[in-house]
Amino acid sequence: MHSLLLLFKAPLQAWGADSRFKTRSTNKEPTKSGVIGLVAAALGRSREESVADLAELEFAVRVDHPGSLMRDYHTARNWFGNKKNSQLSTRYYLSDAVFVVALSSPDRAQLETLEAALRRPVYPLYLGRRSCPANPNLVLGIKDGDGETVLRAQPWFAPTRVREQAYNPVSLQILRDARQGEPADTLRDTPVSFNPEYRQYTLRAVYRAEPVEVENPNGVEPQDDFMKEVTEA
Amino acid sequence: MSFFIDIHALQTLPPSNINRDDTGAPKTAVFGGVPRQRVSSQAWKSAIRQDFAGNLDSSQLGLRTKRVAEKVVKKIQDISEEYDVEKAQAEVTAAFKTAGIKITPKVKNKGLEDKKTTLETGYLLLLSTQQINRLAQAIIDADGAKLTKKEVAKILDTQHSVDISLFGRMLADAPDFNVDASSQVAHAIGVHESEPEFDYYTAVDDVVREAEESGAGMIGTVEMMSSTLYRYANINLDGLAKNLDDKEAAHAAALQFIKSFISAMPTGKQNSFANRTLPEAVVVTLRDDRPVSYVNAFETPVKESAEHGRRVMAAQALAQEATDLAETYGLEPAKSYVLAVGELKESLAALGEEVNLKTLLDKLQADLAEVHTN
Repeated sequence: MHSLLLLFKAPLQAWGADSRFKTRSTNKEPTKSGVIGLVAAALGRSREESVADLAELEFAVRVDHPGSLMRDYHTARNWFGNKKNSQLSTRYYLSDAVFVVALSSPDRAQLETLEAALRRPVYPLYLGRRSCPANPNLVLGIKDGDGETVLRAQPWFAPTRVREQAYNPVSLQILRDARQGEPADTLRDTPVSFNPEYRQYTLRAVYRAEPVEVENPNGVEPQDDFMKEVTEA
Repeated sequence: MSFFIDIHALQTLPPSNINRDDTGAPKTAVFGGVPRQRVSSQAWKSAIRQDFAGNLDSSQLGLRTKRVAEKVVKKIQDISEEYDVEKAQAEVTAAFKTAGIKITPKVKNKGLEDKKTTLETGYLLLLSTQQINRLAQAIIDADGAKLTKKEVAKILDTQHSVDISLFGRMLADAPDFNVDASSQVAHAIGVHESEPEFDYYTAVDDVVREAEESGAGMIGTVEMMSSTLYRYANINLDGLAKNLDDKEAAHAAALQFIKSFISAMPTGKQNSFANRTLPEAVVVTLRDDRPVSYVNAFETPVKESAEHGRRVMAAQALAQEATDLAETYGLEPAKSYVLAVGELKESLAALGEEVNLKTLLDKLQADLAEVHTN
């Protein structure tokens, strides 16, 4: 197995998996369908083209900093005719979040093609929603190993002020595609078609792996007042 | 691989409220762990679109031609081998006639061996590629049957222009009529920490004042914010050229976008705050690798120093980020221009050639004609 690692770090990101109509939600972590859409855009595929090859990649994500949920009140005017009615919608974003994503495949050449495309994309890349441009240091590179293993070995990408406020060590969540027999949450998040006339997703089983512990020399030591009293007594 | 234009701007706003949420508060976001002002991308795009209306010469944009029927004929022949020129021309003429548009055949090189008949409308007709394609497809699909007036009108009458090419269009009912936006506009975000302030106001009742009585006619609060914003947008030039089906029109549209991006501003509470500023710094880069946002320059909130104010410090942070990214990732722009006021010129000097707005547009026009050839 080989894994292509991507860093998602921008003021705003949005990863909706079940949005309908006027409320456009975001999940707490990047979705597989969103990331595959990003890769397809880099390759210059139209929405009508198949993404079956990309959907087969194994997907894993590490939460380096969860960020915070932001609600955006959005009004849109009717472009056609003279009607003055506004369309209201509510859009949710993750602000300030940092994720590392791994796309894994036994076929290294396939990942190399994707890596090259992401470095010189056909369409501008965005983190889930067009108004969230991708960060310049998006591509971290290809590493040997499956997604979870490779994510465990990565340095922590949190900014300094997050490090200073976090404990030492910190524990980072890892979520990945579940394998046979693993307990999993399901999400309607495996893209079948991005064709706007026939948009379809099937279920994806998501496994919450054991969080990874990362050293954080800048952090504060975990201090539980109760335990402190007990140990000092 | 595509060709991209990146536009970065630093713009300081006085206390104002140009873009607010449903409670009337200026929009905000957390970035770098601190709250900041945010102006949504939709709000600024809307302002740019309105600026287009007052600036665009429609002849430069889209396909505005008397020979639009000819394009439909050609498209029919591209799609189907069953149509020769005469048959396609007859069908197209009939379709336009149904919609009330008269088509006149014009014969070129009359009497010569290679004479050629072209179809012309009596006036310039502005149509987009999609409209032409859809009409061609509709004619083929009808397979000799006459299209109804309603069918043709639906294809031709729907608006399609530069703003739609740049900002895209999504029609849930007719997804084949969607246009994929060729520009990307980020939410503008404050380069420093800030929170909304409340302005408590009282409105005086003239009659009460006349009578020398005390008390206000009404009281209320207005929220406002003052920030130096980082604004970023990019244009996918190939995508724009594809949407407009015309490379030169795409160049003109890109220049207009840049001009409007610099000068237009959302109009929220403008009469109350008169916040008509212009960006103090603009960096425009042409790239053939990928679009690059410099927003992470401001993840650590910018603070003024003893020598320099916030604007200069923000410009220095921007320059540092651009230099760092170029060094680390080899993301060197093909061309780079800097437009800046006063002290900021010096801070940004390393990023590119110093220009004013007019020379920026002139130079970009020349560059695009030269480098964007595919």
